[in-house]
Amino acid sequence: MDSAMQNSNPTILNAADLPTRLRPASSRKSGTCKGVIFAFTNYSVADPSEFAIGPYASDESDDDNLIEEPIDEQEIYDLISTISDPEHPISLGALAVVSLPDIKITPTLHDVPGSLVRTATVLITPTITHCSLATVIGLGVRVRLEQSLPPRFRVDVRIKEGTHSTAEEVNKQLADKERVAAALENGTLMGVIAKMLETCQ
Amino acid sequence: MHPVNPATSCALRPLSDLTPPSLERTWLTAPHPRLPIVATCGSDKTVRVYSLTNFQLLSTISGGHKRSVRTAAWKPHIQGESVLATGSFDATAGIWRRWDSYGRAGGEQDGWGSRTGSGLQYDHDHDESNKTDILRQQDVGAEDDDDEEWRFAVLLDGHDSEVKSVSWSASGLLLATCSRDKSIWIWEDLDDGDNNFETVAVMQEHEGDVKCVAWHPAEECLASASYDDTIRIWREDLDDWGQVACMRGHTGTVWFVDWESAENAPACSPNVTGQEKEGRLSQWRETGQRALSGPRLVSCSDDRTVRIWRRHPKEQSDGRFGGTGLPSIIRPTGMDETWEEEAILPTIHDLAIYAVAWSKRTGLIASVGADGRIVLYEERFLVGLESDSSQPMETDPPLRTAEGAATSQSPRTEWVIATVLTGAHGIYEINHVAWAKRADRGRDESKEEEVLVTTADDGSVKVWTVER
Repeated sequence: MDSAMQNSNPTILNAADLPTRLRPASSRKSGTCKGVIFAFTNYSVADPSEFAIGPYASDESDDDNLIEEPIDEQEIYDLISTISDPEHPISLGALAVVSLPDIKITPTLHDVPGSLVRTATVLITPTITHCSLATVIGLGVRVRLEQSLPPRFRVDVRIKEGTHSTAEEVNKQLADKERVAAALENGTLMGVIAKMLETCQ
Repeated sequence: MHPVNPATSCALRPLSDLTPPSLERTWLTAPHPRLPIVATCGSDKTVRVYSLTNFQLLSTISGGHKRSVRTAAWKPHIQGESVLATGSFDATAGIWRRWDSYGRAGGEQDGWGSRTGSGLQYDHDHDESNKTDILRQQDVGAEDDDDEEWRFAVLLDGHDSEVKSVSWSASGLLLATCSRDKSIWIWEDLDDGDNNFETVAVMQEHEGDVKCVAWHPAEECLASASYDDTIRIWREDLDDWGQVACMRGHTGTVWFVDWESAENAPACSPNVTGQEKEGRLSQWRETGQRALSGPRLVSCSDDRTVRIWRRHPKEQSDGRFGGTGLPSIIRPTGMDETWEEEAILPTIHDLAIYAVAWSKRTGLIASVGADGRIVLYEERFLVGLESDSSQPMETDPPLRTAEGAATSQSPRTEWVIATVLTGAHGIYEINHVAWAKRADRGRDESKEEEVLVTTADDGSVKVWTVER
């Protein structure tokens, strides 16, 4: 494996320097890294009036949804910083592949003020500019967020501008819903992703 | 921020959900060409067949595909039997058959086609295929008559990766499939009673996943949309299928294409009536580019636009008008066609647009996408030809005059937003939209009413009426 490594000596940040937030254990999101992919639970909308036909009916999980805590950038960072690099047993946070300032949550629909739909944008900084694993890392981040965030979030994972030689190509793949969905049904690829997500709490 | 016209001309009203829904993502819902049923494809590897009469699940087709079923299409022009083609992420396309007498035994007189003479002639084949059908599902209506079951007929194997779209030609003789492997396959249904399909052509000109294929409403002419941001047109020339046009314009993946009906005509504004309206319509049909160009194409893309494409009439692109500006001597020969972007529809969507549907009855276009919106667009004759000069013809860019004399004879049109519905499936992305004939009890039988069917990420499929 060492011979195939693209970056055998990456810069590693001290874990104590990484942004984090002490939170009561009860507020942890589900730590399921493996298992159900795309768990599309019914999700209730707080304000039906913004939708012409009201919220999609949710039978059993109304209570859980109504007390959903606000999700901020730090929470998204916490979800993805513990993902392991596919090459090293080191977290994406420690490698500075993901960093708090490169995570943004914005309203998705610009002209619908009451809409609950949010876009979580994560910019990824590959450890080296020609790293062919950038797509796999990006897919890992996207899978982690799609499994953990409520479905009102649109996940937008991209390579940070100027940090990768084929960023455009990688970005197009990561943004393609159909390709991502098909990748999730690819056993080999999902094996790699599952291993990366093993280290998530 | 968006140019949403407050004076919208249509309203979408929810008619019903299809129940029970899938609990996983659904990708596409294909309305049957003849019967009041639809087929919904899902990530749970099944196809659900629902009634448009009572919106209930009729049967679930499972066991044929090993991964998500991405797409499905009903074979047109067959009586007595329904034939469904499916395409899956498992890289195969499946063909399924079922006798239309299904449902009648259970007393459900809900408009299923009666068993006609042409249906009876299949009886012999039917018996034979039942004997050899080892993949027949045991759990679907196993206690019912054999006629009640979907029979798995054949698996079309050839693509290297996920099949993204399937489409039957207008005659039902040809089936097109496309895939992430960048290829389009054309299969001929030999209709020999043994479910044999022959590979007619494999086209590999696209430089990325082929996301969608759609046959011309009358001719053997195929349109395809791709991850390479292009739309291409394919025709057969002396036994060889080949690309005859490549349309560039979209700046992102082209997710879907649909054809205009052969008889479509734009709407007239309310102040145009009677004889003038008739005159305008006949002018539209018989003169100018409409008569020569044939049906147009509509496309939608990751770039958040919906675009209309029109073929240059042959007489012009080959002759002195030369729409591309290229001297005819270096123009490609033979079958090549020139297609140009006729219009970009008013931009409403905030995210990728996954599907468009051009109503064959009303000419309305519907688009849906990741932002959860349904948008309807209506084409209207511009009032510029009337004495009213408030909307002068100069609103069109001057380059339009390069299209030649035929254009100036045709009435000009514009596309307007007919209605916008945000959050049509709550917070979920909408993957597909289709028009279907209305079949529930609430319909007005004196009119041929249409409903819109939308398919979403949470497995929900909704049926809408359009009030104009």
